[in-house]
Amino acid sequence: MTTTLFIVQLINGLQYGLLLFLIASGLTLVFGVMGILNLAHGSMFMIGAYLAWYFVEHTGSFGVSAVVSAIIALLLGILIERTLIRHLYRRNHLDQVLLTIGMIFVFNALQSILWGNDPLGVAVPELLSSSIPLTDILEYPVYRIFVAIFCVFIAIVMYYTINKTRLGMLIRAGESNREMVECLGIDISRLYTVVFAIGVMLAAVAGVIAAPMTSIVPGMGEHILIACFVVVVIGGMGSIKGAFIGALLVGLVDTFASVLVPQLSSMMIYILMAFILLLKPQGLFSS
Amino acid sequence: MKKNNKIINTILAGVTTLTLCTPATATETDPIKVGVMLPFSGVYGGLGEATRNGLKMALKEHAADLEGRTIEFIEMDTEARPDRAPEIASSLLNKSHADFIVGPVHSGVAMGMIKVLKDKDSIMIIPNAGANAATGPLCAPNIFRTSFSAWQPSYPMGKVALDAGYKKVVTMSWNYGFGKESLEAFEESFTAGGGDVVKKILVPFPKTEFQAYLSEIASIKPDAVFVFFAGGGAVKFVKDYDALGLKGKIPLLGSGFLTEGTLEAQGQAAEGILTTLHYADSLNNPTNNSFRQRYAENFGKPSDLYAVQGYDTGLMIANAVKSLQGDISDRKALISALENTTINSPRGDFTFSKAHNPIQNIYLREVVYGENEVIQLAAPALEDPARGCKM
Amino acid sequence: MLFNKRTERLFIWIFFPLALMMPLFLEQNTFYVSKLTTVMIFSLFVMSLDYLVGRCGLITLGHAMFYGLGGYIFVMIAPEYEAVNFWLYTLYICSIAAAIALLIGLLVLRTSGIYMIMITLAFAQMAFYYFSDSIEFGGNDGVFIYVKPETSLFGLSLFDLDNPIHFYYLCLLSLFNTMAFFKIIMRSRFGRVMDAIHENPDRTVALGYNVFFFKLISYTIASALGAYAGYLFTLQYGFVNPSMLSWTTSGTALVMSILGGMGSIYGAILGTLVYEGLHYSLEHLTEHWLLFMGALIILMVMVFKDGIAGYLEKLLEKRS
Repeated sequence: MTTTLFIVQLINGLQYGLLLFLIASGLTLVFGVMGILNLAHGSMFMIGAYLAWYFVEHTGSFGVSAVVSAIIALLLGILIERTLIRHLYRRNHLDQVLLTIGMIFVFNALQSILWGNDPLGVAVPELLSSSIPLTDILEYPVYRIFVAIFCVFIAIVMYYTINKTRLGMLIRAGESNREMVECLGIDISRLYTVVFAIGVMLAAVAGVIAAPMTSIVPGMGEHILIACFVVVVIGGMGSIKGAFIGALLVGLVDTFASVLVPQLSSMMIYILMAFILLLKPQGLFSS
Repeated sequence: MKKNNKIINTILAGVTTLTLCTPATATETDPIKVGVMLPFSGVYGGLGEATRNGLKMALKEHAADLEGRTIEFIEMDTEARPDRAPEIASSLLNKSHADFIVGPVHSGVAMGMIKVLKDKDSIMIIPNAGANAATGPLCAPNIFRTSFSAWQPSYPMGKVALDAGYKKVVTMSWNYGFGKESLEAFEESFTAGGGDVVKKILVPFPKTEFQAYLSEIASIKPDAVFVFFAGGGAVKFVKDYDALGLKGKIPLLGSGFLTEGTLEAQGQAAEGILTTLHYADSLNNPTNNSFRQRYAENFGKPSDLYAVQGYDTGLMIANAVKSLQGDISDRKALISALENTTINSPRGDFTFSKAHNPIQNIYLREVVYGENEVIQLAAPALEDPARGCKM
Repeated sequence: MLFNKRTERLFIWIFFPLALMMPLFLEQNTFYVSKLTTVMIFSLFVMSLDYLVGRCGLITLGHAMFYGLGGYIFVMIAPEYEAVNFWLYTLYICSIAAAIALLIGLLVLRTSGIYMIMITLAFAQMAFYYFSDSIEFGGNDGVFIYVKPETSLFGLSLFDLDNPIHFYYLCLLSLFNTMAFFKIIMRSRFGRVMDAIHENPDRTVALGYNVFFFKLISYTIASALGAYAGYLFTLQYGFVNPSMLSWTTSGTALVMSILGGMGSIYGAILGTLVYEGLHYSLEHLTEHWLLFMGALIILMVMVFKDGIAGYLEKLLEKRS
């Protein structure tokens, strides 16, 4: 492998990993703070992508579409938490699995009814549609670089929020001791609603920005969900830092494996996960 | 104990009702039963829907050919899941006693269906699934196909590549039956003429993260790239190929599915892609032009390849029923009628090979302003070699 | 008596006699017989999962790996065009599956909770991709089995696997035996220790039991039986496919188990029947049956918190 190719694959892997982080961060946040394993998290990614397509079709502007989709996702998150999720707090993991599987079915059916089963595409926004030449043949699309930068930006915002703001303090407190937070007079149910809605919004926003790079098809939610789980488990359930490192690891391993060991490439991220779990059963940075 | 009795009584009543519904023996005025085994949900849902529309349109338009008999459709959603195939096929065969069973879209499902239906009473007509085996090692008198074999669309592209002067080609597809068969067909004709497939990339199915592979192709710098992808994967691949700067620098050749049903989503990125297929929406012949218009009027959306294949299946059934004057009870005669029929398809007239696969033209198409324009005939009346078929 | 719970006995006395008589009523419709057979085979699989998750507390999302292995092991060891002995191969397949389970269990059972879910999923996915990307095993499209095993025992030919009615009764018998087998285990000393481990592993360790060993044995038994179910499924239509190993198969089985009522063992049969029944009736009504299925599942979680068996037990069990 030439140096150029190596660097290109490195960038590919990091960019894929950063996108995975954006989605996985919502999953791990919700689990860490609320103890809820939301299998329908992948569906939120799908909803983001479909909403992006819908609003781009009707407004022609990607920017407007992104903002509107994010707001809808936020509202949807609040709605789901209020009506369904809050019944799960005292229940065990299995009930959560069952309920969120039911939600997956419902969302998939709604997607089919609202938007049909044909593959859809969103054009890359004009501003970001050029490519940077790397070699005489290879160019790197500016949009992918934008996505990577955007994910890093979100990561920084999350870091700042969790470590430097009051909301972040509540999140950290809720992660370590739920009852104590309640005893201190904090309205824990409001906190949960906010956290869940943020989680949903993160996944949906990931879907929106991924839409121009991917094809929007039924089943895209479940496909990304599995990768997300691997990320979150490697990183440690509930740890955002873990999700970041885990996502980069998964992105890099998956990318390099596909060109170095193509026969094993689909298994690589699972081998990685099994390996890490056997060494550190709680993941790399368990909270 | 009262509760137990109540439950038992209800169940017994239900079972008794079931047993009283025994099927009467079929007569000539009974409807012809057409089982439809297609995906109506999930990724392939659109293809299933289009196939069904075409099928129904053909049978409605040719109702007069049915010699007074009506059609009863029994539709079942396969969800494109191979593990459900044997069960659903068994249902259509043993429970519904369908005369014809039309399906499926997905090759894996086809394998499961063939397992159950091979050499049985119902006539199985495949309106899409291209697995070579269906008209190859697993061929049978009661299995027909109105679509294509995996070999057919890809084989002629080898010669096209050679004629264009390409010597070194990278091939790429998903690592599953149909993908591999397509790449093998291209390789067969390409290497026979002196070409060299420098690398064959098999992506785990159904992965659509292509960045790493495309980067590798860029570093290899072949004369051209030949691929098979379909549906969502085709959309992503074409867009990624463009975004990575390969479009225009390394010619992209594909089995026709790369640009079927995907052009709108692919947008500008698809311009200039050459593909080979047994059909093109833009085929300028009276049958196709009329078909497209009628389909759009009936269903409010444009027709596509899958609708044509469904339509041709309907034509096939109507032709056979007509030639037998409505009496299809003699299966041997029915099979003979089906074997000898000519289908006046929007893709051009075609007949069936001994292995029951269409002998048809393959067209070379180029994407021009968002449409597949037919450049030339890549291969006239191409017959699949039906390797392994003992008929 | 073996089945000491009232609801258990009620279920057994309704289900099994009905199931025994079904083929007599449905003689004309081999389709229904086959469909019920498929349901029974899958409920055997769900039962093995139910024991593992509901009784032992070992939550796995990779159990379908053994379901698929049941079929693929048969493809691997059986000659292509020769009819082998069904009983002998049952022994082979269950033994090989048990050996694999032993190895995997050694690695997997050191984790718990969400991590165990994930690592079992990892192994299942690895197996899935192994068979899916393989050439020898037909890859994604699966493999056919052309010759079914014959069922002679001590030289006497017992029944014909190609006959749907014979096969139905074989599966029914297997289902009953499996149920009885699990019940025996559960009521034995081994079962009591497993209950203790489920309830409070630390205390059980303090009592001097080798908890890991007990977990390993349970995992191996359940996996071997899961493989047996997969083997039966493969024999029904002679077709193996990687989707048997997928996490969606595991997930569906989990849903059925929870629906029926986790840990009750007979709940597995109930859950599978209800789920499949709903699927069957809904898909004939509408193209968008998933919507109603999903809504029903959500409703069930909200209302039938302990599954159907749990609800029945609340109604019918004597207060102890």
